[in-house]
Amino acid sequence: MFYHMLTPIRLTLAAGCAVSLLHAAPALAQQAAEVHLTYSNGAFQPSEVRAPADRPVVFRVKNLDGKAMEFESKSLRVEKVVAAKSEGVINVRPLKSGRYEFYDDFNEKARGVLTVQ
Amino acid sequence: MRAGIASGWRLAAVFGAFALLCHAGAARAEDAGSWKEIETKYIFGFTTGSGIGIEGEKEFTVDSIGRSGKRDGHYAATETKYEYEFTPSQFIQIEFGALGSTHNIGGVTDLDSRNAAAFVGGFAEFRYLAIERTSNNPFSVTLAFEPNVRLIDETSGEHVHNYEFETTVNADVELLRNRLYAGFDLLYEPEATWTATEDTIREATLGGSAALSLRITPGVLVGAEAWYLRHYDSPTLSDFTGDAIMLGPTLYVQFTPKMFMIAAWNSQVWGREVGNSLLLNLSEFQRNRARLKFAWEF
Repeated sequence: MFYHMLTPIRLTLAAGCAVSLLHAAPALAQQAAEVHLTYSNGAFQPSEVRAPADRPVVFRVKNLDGKAMEFESKSLRVEKVVAAKSEGVINVRPLKSGRYEFYDDFNEKARGVLTVQ
Repeated sequence: MRAGIASGWRLAAVFGAFALLCHAGAARAEDAGSWKEIETKYIFGFTTGSGIGIEGEKEFTVDSIGRSGKRDGHYAATETKYEYEFTPSQFIQIEFGALGSTHNIGGVTDLDSRNAAAFVGGFAEFRYLAIERTSNNPFSVTLAFEPNVRLIDETSGEHVHNYEFETTVNADVELLRNRLYAGFDLLYEPEATWTATEDTIREATLGGSAALSLRITPGVLVGAEAWYLRHYDSPTLSDFTGDAIMLGPTLYVQFTPKMFMIAAWNSQVWGREVGNSLLLNLSEFQRNRARLKFAWEF
């Protein structure tokens, strides 16, 4: 009985891995656009950044503050905790043109925008 | 029937009052343009939005659905999902977990009386974001597949071997930025059940829903949804047995950035059974259903 119960779960996990790989392959083939941000005094610098459409984006977030921050974005669908005085690297899929908000999940006031064209 | 609808509206009023009390103060000075974007998966009650979370996010949830009301006697049943959910990529979400149930049944035609709680089985869900929302496209669609295995029948509480494969299309559209959302689900749910008396039952449920959800403060959404459900005694949809329409209010409350709850109530407002002229379809569906879910992200 337990074997029967595990089979659909295994199938679901396998399907998930397969589709993840399908999405990852073209993204790896393209050169990523790098976006550099610093985080200090509870704010992103710069708070508005740009990137080209249909190319993967790599955020390099340097946290200069004395406490951790969490880079997060619902529309980019990424999150990463960046420890104090360190750098976090966040990989984002190729993006369509538009405006993508990001923020520090530990600090309501720290917000920024990525414009993709 | 009237009592069911009336209690639904009372609940809607309670939802609204609770939501307003929770965040009334915070809302005054803010406008929706400055609010953070919201995850849409859970803002529509029983209707599931297109959200799949964010890459690397993990969540534990306790999701209970209660059903009550049959033609006669008393009927109350719950099924609870203890669920682990994670998002391994920016397009995929995977969930799995265990199911538990309770049944309190007495004097219902065709159902044995029982008062029991049990471990039911397990489930897994795979969600794929097919169309993503951007600032230029408010429409988003996710395809979801959810196999379930049950050792206890969802309706009767009897020991069975039940295999269900729920397939849904979850779509939503942002009608007003950060403020008003519409959600739509399409459902196809074939299942096969082997009973303790060696009978085999094959059936399917087909349905669709529409929901609206209004964000009244950054962390509170209230809304309403309607479901149309059809039941067949065949997975190929060849043997129609009845249908029903359910309506009710929904509530979503974000307590902290990492913790939220949803509540929803649906009452059957119209239904029919093939070969039976009675009002409502209480053979395949229930008079009322309620959902309460708590989630913790980590």
